[in-house]
Amino acid sequence: MHIEREQADGAVLLKVAGRLDTPNAKPFETSLMDVLSMTDGPIIINLAGVDYVSSSGLRALLVAGKAMRNSKRRLSLTSLQPQIREVFDISGFSTLFEIS
Amino acid sequence: MTMPPAADTLISALRVGADIASIAQVTSWLGDLADEHDWPPAMRFGLELSVEEALTNVISYGFAQSPREPLIRVEVHGLEGGRIAVHLIDNGVAFDPTTLAEPEAVDSIEDARIGGHGVQLMRHFLESLTYRREGDENHLTLVAAPARAAG
Repeated sequence: MHIEREQADGAVLLKVAGRLDTPNAKPFETSLMDVLSMTDGPIIINLAGVDYVSSSGLRALLVAGKAMRNSKRRLSLTSLQPQIREVFDISGFSTLFEIS
Repeated sequence: MTMPPAADTLISALRVGADIASIAQVTSWLGDLADEHDWPPAMRFGLELSVEEALTNVISYGFAQSPREPLIRVEVHGLEGGRIAVHLIDNGVAFDPTTLAEPEAVDSIEDARIGGHGVQLMRHFLESLTYRREGDENHLTLVAAPARAAG
């Protein structure tokens, strides 16, 4: 799992690649929460490079999503691969997150 | 869910420890079997995801209150019609994931419950998920079908 961080139109853009599985979930959550605490404003997570997500990866995104909502910041997800989108649809996460 | 048919051909088996590193070991092993036996990509994805969910439960909860030396065995069997059965056998505390309730559907992130989505994903991606307790062992059988993958 690999995360690249960029600035894009006033937002923080995180490009995530690799597997969001149980072994990677905690490091992923820690990285997200670090970015949340070090930045202001909206965050966009680009998942184009993610080819696998399990419930542990979903959990990390939900923790970050709740923290962003509590601080009234916007979090959006982009570029989900079809099988990742299916996991989001089945788990109900497609309605919880702004996805484009 | 319906009972899976009896497994016919043992393709491979692996014994792993009850630690988080075992999850990567098992999913990597499944990936190698998928390559070797040319499993359809969607079946491979669903099976790998379901096995990870089941194994995560076993490793996270199965041995926390168990004095036994953990023994976890994973077997992959080929069934008729290109279907694959994975048997997950462990000697942890009795735990039947087929009885777990799925999280309630919610509309907002504030109301979303953290956790509980694993069983929901397994039910979606698998043709069947069956459990039995045999002596001191949990036996969980996960069956995935290429037809589901094609649909």
